[in-house]
Amino acid sequence: MATITNKRTEKIRVFLFFFVLFIFSCSLVLFPRVAVPICVAYVISLIFGPAIPFIMRLGIRRTMAVNIIFFGFLFIFSYPLVRVTPVITSEAQNLQYYLPKVERFIKSEYRGLTKKVEEKTGYVVGNEILIDTLKFAKDSTTNILLKVPKYVGNFLEWIFLVPLFVFFMLKDGKSFKKKFLRIVPNSIFERVYYLSHQFNRQLGDYIFAKFVEASLVGVIITTGLMILDVRFGILLGIVAGVTNVIPYLGPILGTVPAIIFGLVEYGWGPTFGAIVILYSVANAIDIALVFPILVSKIVNLHPLIVVISVILGSTFLGVLGMVVSIPVAAALKLICIEIYNEVYGVKSQ
Amino acid sequence: MVNDSFEKEVNDKVRDNQALPTKLDIPILKYFWQSNPLFASNKNSIPRFLRKIKVLENFSDNELRVLSKSMHFRQFTDGEKIFNQNDVGVGFYFIYSGRVDIIVEDEQIVKDSNASIPKMNHIVSLDKMDYFGELALLQQQSIRNASAVARESCQLLGIFKPDLENLINSNPTVATRLLQAVSVITANRLFSLTNEVRRLKFKIKELEVKNGNNNK
Repeated sequence: MATITNKRTEKIRVFLFFFVLFIFSCSLVLFPRVAVPICVAYVISLIFGPAIPFIMRLGIRRTMAVNIIFFGFLFIFSYPLVRVTPVITSEAQNLQYYLPKVERFIKSEYRGLTKKVEEKTGYVVGNEILIDTLKFAKDSTTNILLKVPKYVGNFLEWIFLVPLFVFFMLKDGKSFKKKFLRIVPNSIFERVYYLSHQFNRQLGDYIFAKFVEASLVGVIITTGLMILDVRFGILLGIVAGVTNVIPYLGPILGTVPAIIFGLVEYGWGPTFGAIVILYSVANAIDIALVFPILVSKIVNLHPLIVVISVILGSTFLGVLGMVVSIPVAAALKLICIEIYNEVYGVKSQ
Repeated sequence: MVNDSFEKEVNDKVRDNQALPTKLDIPILKYFWQSNPLFASNKNSIPRFLRKIKVLENFSDNELRVLSKSMHFRQFTDGEKIFNQNDVGVGFYFIYSGRVDIIVEDEQIVKDSNASIPKMNHIVSLDKMDYFGELALLQQQSIRNASAVARESCQLLGIFKPDLENLINSNPTVATRLLQAVSVITANRLFSLTNEVRRLKFKIKELEVKNGNNNK
């Protein structure tokens, strides 16, 4: 009799647990104004999380360790931010006047190309493709520019919210987790705990590795471009670093603007060649050294699955989705393996 | 009358064969004193509990406090399964209160019915301050040798593989002490196991010799 009531209460607990999870994920989707800063803060806390144990090993308590990291970060990064931000804004403003030049250049190049094709093959290439692409590019950029005020409003909110969230996630994340684990029903406790730990570790390791990789590539390209004294060097370096986060497509996306600007500014000269070599060297270092050491060990997914998950992530969550898609795919794989083992009774050694 | 001492009153009453006054109930007073929520020992009784466990005796008090922070307090009702045989396990449990039975399930076909009913072999029952499941912390994909079932409403303190990993990163000393304790448990068990095997081998040899004599 006792076991029957036990089973019933256990079932209720399991139901309640999944219900709470469901409500939580629904509320994340329904209230993006809170959810987005929380997600950003979570990603940032994953980047800085690995530093905490290192400080705690010196015998410092968790709260103090978090304080050290947090204020150290603010202290170290506030000076370069104050110095670099005006440079970036002025470069971005210059870009506005610079874009028509790019357009003219592309048009003249295209005309030359069509002429060549006409001479060689006698086939007349119409202007429609060019006009369409340029129109699309212009429309999308103006679209982004029109949305800037909204982003700025969000950004001001985030500047206060995100550090707050990051601080408390780093400080109290463990106790939050412990409280959450209290409502996990006994019958699935060990599995849920282990899986959530694996999931968190995969996500954390991946994002940390990507952060290191992207900043390395960004620093290499920025310093290289500054040595070459290329215009918009810092901006291009930052673009290369940020796009590097996206697997496979990112490096190409990061290279395209640099090649276009190099061509427009310097033509087919030695500077352009130097830029191309710089980008290839940076990407070669990334592919040959950083990726195998840092990233591939963590995520062993088939390249096809990687590409598919990136596309799916971008359709659902945009840029954030592209970043998060791979660790989420890896975690799903983990869960699938667990379920497979459970259903087919395979006890892997 | 007011200034009379308690002892004198009692003595007088004993002499007069009168009923004694009700005794001062020290245990009840102590109970009410200790149920004070601000009382120090109530605030964190887990390290005090861990202090009493023999295997953890080489922990310092502070290390026990750190260890208790990464432990999980789980409650089980009577008859509830803590883990099943052949499940993949990640947890090492201490019994904070209650009783736990360790059971081995043998798949045996019962002749009366065609269905195979698992036969339960009761191995051992564990009491307060005992521990079980220590192999899960050491093995890579640890599969439980036996099931554990709560026999009263139980309170268990569990430490799991993820906690151990976090401890190794943040407090290596505590993690090492814990691993030392677990290795002591396994080493003791291995020692008794070796002895048992030796004894059984000797018995087999004896039987063989006996059989040989009979055959002659």
